[in-house]
Amino acid sequence: MNQTFNSCPNFTTRLETASALVHKAIDAVRQKNIPKRNLIWLELTGCSGNIISLLDGANPDFKSLASQMVNFIYDNSLMAAEGEAAMERLFGMTGGDYILAVEGAVSTKDNGLYNIIGRWKGQPVTAYETIKKFGEQASYVIAVGTCASDGGISAARPNPAECVGIQSLLDKKVIKLPGCPCHPDWFMGTLAYLMLFGEPELDSRQRPLMFYSTLIHDICPRRPYFDQGIFASKLGEKTCMFKLGCRGPVTRVDCPIRKWNDRVNWPIGDDSPCIGCAMFGFPDKMEPFISFDTT
Amino acid sequence: MNETKRVVINPVTRISGFMEIDADIDNSIVTDARTEGLLFRGFEKMLEGRNPFDAVYFTQRICGICSTAHSVASTLALEDALGVTVSQQGRYLRDIIHGCEFLQNHIRHFYQYTAPDFIKLPESNTLFETDHNDFRLPKQKNDLIVKHYFDSLEYSRNAHEMLAILGGKAPHNHGVFIGGITTQATPEKIARLRSLLLNIRQFICDSMIPDAYAVAEYYKEYFEIGRGYGNFLTFGCFDGYERLDTLYVNPSTYSDGRIMELNPGEITENIYSSWYTSRQETYTPFETIPEPDMKKRDAYSWVKAPRYRGLPYEVGPLARMWLCGEYRNGISTMDRTLARVLEAKKVANIMLCLLDNLIPGIDVQKEYEVPQSAYGAGLIDTTRGALGHWIRIENQVISLYQIITPSAWNLSTRDRDNLPGPGEKAMIGTIIRNPDAPVELGRIIRSFDPCVSCATHVYSKGNLIKTMQVVP
Repeated sequence: MNQTFNSCPNFTTRLETASALVHKAIDAVRQKNIPKRNLIWLELTGCSGNIISLLDGANPDFKSLASQMVNFIYDNSLMAAEGEAAMERLFGMTGGDYILAVEGAVSTKDNGLYNIIGRWKGQPVTAYETIKKFGEQASYVIAVGTCASDGGISAARPNPAECVGIQSLLDKKVIKLPGCPCHPDWFMGTLAYLMLFGEPELDSRQRPLMFYSTLIHDICPRRPYFDQGIFASKLGEKTCMFKLGCRGPVTRVDCPIRKWNDRVNWPIGDDSPCIGCAMFGFPDKMEPFISFDTT
Repeated sequence: MNETKRVVINPVTRISGFMEIDADIDNSIVTDARTEGLLFRGFEKMLEGRNPFDAVYFTQRICGICSTAHSVASTLALEDALGVTVSQQGRYLRDIIHGCEFLQNHIRHFYQYTAPDFIKLPESNTLFETDHNDFRLPKQKNDLIVKHYFDSLEYSRNAHEMLAILGGKAPHNHGVFIGGITTQATPEKIARLRSLLLNIRQFICDSMIPDAYAVAEYYKEYFEIGRGYGNFLTFGCFDGYERLDTLYVNPSTYSDGRIMELNPGEITENIYSSWYTSRQETYTPFETIPEPDMKKRDAYSWVKAPRYRGLPYEVGPLARMWLCGEYRNGISTMDRTLARVLEAKKVANIMLCLLDNLIPGIDVQKEYEVPQSAYGAGLIDTTRGALGHWIRIENQVISLYQIITPSAWNLSTRDRDNLPGPGEKAMIGTIIRNPDAPVELGRIIRSFDPCVSCATHVYSKGNLIKTMQVVP
């Protein structure tokens, strides 16, 4: 179960990218070759599932990230402080040096009042004004997950909270890590690269090529079934799920080799179709997720 | 001196989602309290017109920490609507996936969300800087729990790894679907699941349960704080298996000292204090989806008020452990926390039993057809309590989708009778030791394990700008 299906160095090397980068960054911090950077993690209009996914990181893991690589300044799910004292940690970074990671889209309806993330000096602080304030001033901005990258499910039609991805509110360039949720390797690898070398090579949609350069369909272990026209007619079958609505042919990310949760499985390995959760336009342009009545 | 202080805590950190606690403190006693969610996305509206099968993957995105719960409830609603009877093997597989989420959630809730309220974590880590000093455990005991805080990350992660073995990935699994799960058990998967599960169970028994009792020993007054109504409700879980019977708890309620069978027909939702309008102020799940209305007078939250027989009910681990008779020590902040860690052990044992009964290589999937019109309900107890999904299908697409979450029960708003929700009720009457650092309120609310991402199809007080943080 833990084995990769392919021993090609192109695959195996890529699997080690994230952990190699994180270990290199931790070493560099320890030897004071690079500073331990401040990290602000904002949970905005979404499900807070990307911070949970980050906790699922195995190698590299969350503990080494939070204790050895960065100063984790703010995160709603994990920080010990609450109320104004918590917001002080965030606003205390004003004018300082920090890297900003954002999960969730941003609700823009009624000046952002549909998503309030806290109170500062008694006044409600919206997700909208927070991203405006802390986004432009950040050294780097990373959109973690599909909602922050492109609106995602929070912006699904009819988009009741009028959600948008964070780039549309910022002049500052946003590095996008779509995926619902974002894989912990994608985030930690990107963060380590930023600390060590600056901005990684990105594609035209601002995704790091080291994780987003391959189409799922091109490296799918079930590709031979597609090529021979052998298609599953229901879930649970071991053949190509193209006719059930698989979005592997349009989704660009390295799921088939990286897999999930300590590399134990992935959606197609679970005999279910890819739903394109790492693709722009998810979910509206990726639906229906499952259909039995295609020809 | 008699003075009323208004205390506002926002954000309430270490919960899932955004929430404000708003309390009046009079002579050190909480005289009024409100819980308010601060995020609106409107999933019920989004689901209208979509392919019914998509609800299973779509609704999971309501919540990142309890996404499996939504996949299970929506699958049950679809099975009800399609008239699909799930096989016993299908149920075992699905319930094992669901069990993984209980383990993941309860371990993270105890160590990452609850422990920082009572345990001094190393402030050399910026994440752990605190705003109060009510830490009472002797250094040695404190430091052991600090060690377990970090050790626990491996076990909650492993619980999600188990979930992915059967469910493809976590959060937001692909495995739970009509008929059971998408894939099949293999001897290799069963062996791996058992091995991971035994390690997690050992951590629960050797570390988490003793740690929870260690905290309880030094914070004894929390057995008196945060009682609430003492009404309990469960939709049942790990129950009614053909051969294994009920391994945990049947759908039931507890009120006035009596345990009764649950009658789902008695569930209503009320929007008296919520920013919604509808033809009816109180409605049953299939009747209507209220429209958002920010300008509604006298409303203070977008959390609605679910009621059973017109009354607020508490849901969650304490409710279940009480109703199945395994925990009857008391009803309080600390009892909720103890019930949760004890439940983790119970669920681990149930999962071992289900694993023992798995038969490898059974395909539970079929080709399903969306009916022209149908309706169905999926009622199930999940990590945080009773979760209901109600679906109506017309012209082969979703025409109505109603979701009532556990945290909507626990964080519900006042109805026309002015009855506070269970979380609000639990705070009212509490003695606050230091009104400038009212740690009690966050501790009480966290004992409910609120998930505001779930409870809020919610928004809070658009045009109601309240005054300062602490107002004399």
